[in-house]
Amino acid sequence: MAAIAYLVAAWTVAPGFYDGFTPPQPYNFVCPPPQAGANAQPSSGSLNIKIINGSSDPNSAFTDDGQLVIGFLPGAFDVTGKSSVNVTITPISPCPNVDGLRFVVNTYLITADAPLVKSSNLVLRYSNLEPDPSYIYRASNLGGQWTRLDIQQQAQLYTISAQTDQLGYFSAGFPSNAISPGGTSNQELLPIIVAVLIAAVLLAGVPLTVMRRRQPRAAARRRDEDEEDEE
Amino acid sequence: MLFAYVLLVEWTRALTATIPGAAVPALLLGGGGLVLAAWGWPAERLGLGTSKLGLRLLGGLALAVVLLLPTAARASVVPVLPGGLAVAAIAVSIGEEVAFRGALFAALEDIGGAPLAVIGSTLAWTAAHALSHPAEFLPPVAAAGLLLAMWRLVFRDLVGPIVAHVIADLAL
Repeated sequence: MAAIAYLVAAWTVAPGFYDGFTPPQPYNFVCPPPQAGANAQPSSGSLNIKIINGSSDPNSAFTDDGQLVIGFLPGAFDVTGKSSVNVTITPISPCPNVDGLRFVVNTYLITADAPLVKSSNLVLRYSNLEPDPSYIYRASNLGGQWTRLDIQQQAQLYTISAQTDQLGYFSAGFPSNAISPGGTSNQELLPIIVAVLIAAVLLAGVPLTVMRRRQPRAAARRRDEDEEDEE
Repeated sequence: MLFAYVLLVEWTRALTATIPGAAVPALLLGGGGLVLAAWGWPAERLGLGTSKLGLRLLGGLALAVVLLLPTAARASVVPVLPGGLAVAAIAVSIGEEVAFRGALFAALEDIGGAPLAVIGSTLAWTAAHALSHPAEFLPPVAAAGLLLAMWRLVFRDLVGPIVAHVIADLAL
């Protein structure tokens, strides 16, 4: 009964029970993969950076759902003739298809009304329902060349970060002919694991059952033989 | 006391794991902290006896099949456990079984018998996952807890749940 209750409960929620280590909140996809289930649209973000003593203040721009954060150093922008700098972050829809690349997160456009002159730290959150991304990619326009950025050591689970000296379009993924170092999905592996487990239970279960049935009979036989010897 | 201790360890682990770079240490320390809940309990009372060990291990494999079956049947919805978390996942799996189906189960059974042990350990296990899992995942978490607690009750065994839990966590 408990097993049936579990199977029913686990069937109602994709992917069912797992004590794996989920991101604290589901990823909001522009183009959700089939396994995503209920999906909320991703948020945009904006930031107004003050200029103090002729230099832009340090600050971070982020989307309201926290899926993209970009941190700006003091003086990150050329603020000539500006009284403040406006930064906007917009998720791009529809999702771009780029030859040779597979993106596993949304593509975002980050713009500012002043030129960026210092590298900024970009952090993208990703979903546990997709393979881990290997790189962050940047492009100045959607149809143009996508540049691979050097990623930094992972600071937090399910995030990938890189330094960028330009704003533009950003996404994360890996070459479509490559295997993600984070591991490809278990889509093919898990049924094999379950099949191996079932085979192990059956193969080991039969001899174990036979042995357990033989042991009492053998013990009884020994007792009978001992009693006969005593007589 | 034990109920509060295991919940405190689990919630602390879940919150600490969100700090950048702290996930693996939090999981390892959390697993160790949960094992400490069994301090002073004889192995037999925890369901960790060595008699019929082959059957216990085999039962664990069978339980793992049940835990993984709904996900395996829908292979397109399989999440991926980051490789670096494998050891930490094992530590937490063992810790949770020892704490919830081991020590807490035995303590509740002493107080209120089998029904309290099953229901209490399942409630505690579900509550412990409230901070680390989205709300919609809690019913399957509770059902898995109930299944593992029933196994513990019927077979007086914790080896099977430990094996099943470790396999399920490593596979997903």
